[in-house]
Amino acid sequence: MLKQLFNKSMIMIILFSTLNIIMYFSIKKFWIGGSSFLPMIGNFGPNNAFLFAFLVNMGVIVGAFGGAMMSKEFNLKIPRPKDIPKAIIGGVLIGIGITLAPGTCTTSFVIGFPMLSISSFISGAGIFIGGYIVYLVIIKKNLTK
Amino acid sequence: MTFSLLLTFGFLFGIGLGFFIQRAGLCFAHGLGEIFIGKPKRIIRMTLLIFIISALGFYLSSFVSPELGLKPIGELRGFGFYNLLSGMIFGAGIILNGGCILGTLRQLGEGNLLFLIVLLSFIPGMALVVFILNPLLNHSYHVQNIILPGLINIDPGYIIFPSVLGAMVWYTLLSLKRN
Repeated sequence: MLKQLFNKSMIMIILFSTLNIIMYFSIKKFWIGGSSFLPMIGNFGPNNAFLFAFLVNMGVIVGAFGGAMMSKEFNLKIPRPKDIPKAIIGGVLIGIGITLAPGTCTTSFVIGFPMLSISSFISGAGIFIGGYIVYLVIIKKNLTK
Repeated sequence: MTFSLLLTFGFLFGIGLGFFIQRAGLCFAHGLGEIFIGKPKRIIRMTLLIFIISALGFYLSSFVSPELGLKPIGELRGFGFYNLLSGMIFGAGIILNGGCILGTLRQLGEGNLLFLIVLLSFIPGMALVVFILNPLLNHSYHVQNIILPGLINIDPGYIIFPSVLGAMVWYTLLSLKRN
């Protein structure tokens, strides 16, 4: 029964959430997503808060690299030219989404919901609606072709 | 604590978070895709676990230090209109390129260079809002920072404990139903 409740992925999620809580207790900061990229356009936030979050997320890339190397899942993939326009459009949309209302992104699911933040509940609903529209209009259409 | 030491700790915590995310295979863009194709169990279980641990942790932190505890995330802009709109734009973006923020960072760490293009493409989108839209819209922003217990004026514990209990029951039922 314990195996049904907690497989390897779920244990990793428990460790991720616990580490985020330890971070909050120890240095009074938690992981954030969207706003952490604002230093890329020269906005470091109040008390360099976004610079801190940017550094955390650079650490996330390094950690993911370490995890991928350990599990032999690292695979250097050069993007195919046909995938690049979609990546650019998606990236620009993400850039707009994360700045039009701060706190709108993966942060809603990881931090906002547990914090019972009203803005995150609304953003979460928006993410679901926007994602579903793209799924219906582009992804599902391509899948059924 | 000096700021450089804080940055060092942040980077080290980031490495740990990234390692666990990679081993878990977490990405909310993929998770939404799984929901849309009718296979939602994995991402719902992951989201419930994150909620259970984080909600309890954030709530209990308020007893350790008054600086901690539950806090509003981001801003509620235009009575939620801009949050809904930005959520929709963000949701469209992540489904289009197959990576949320964590998913983008994870897949970049796994060697998929397409996500470096995704990451760099945030720049024009952010610049458009910060330098052009925000100055135009600023006067129409009605900004609030509010959490659910504050909205209905009750102690957060009355919401946290029943919702965590509900999440535990849901998680258990989903997990046992799985096989």
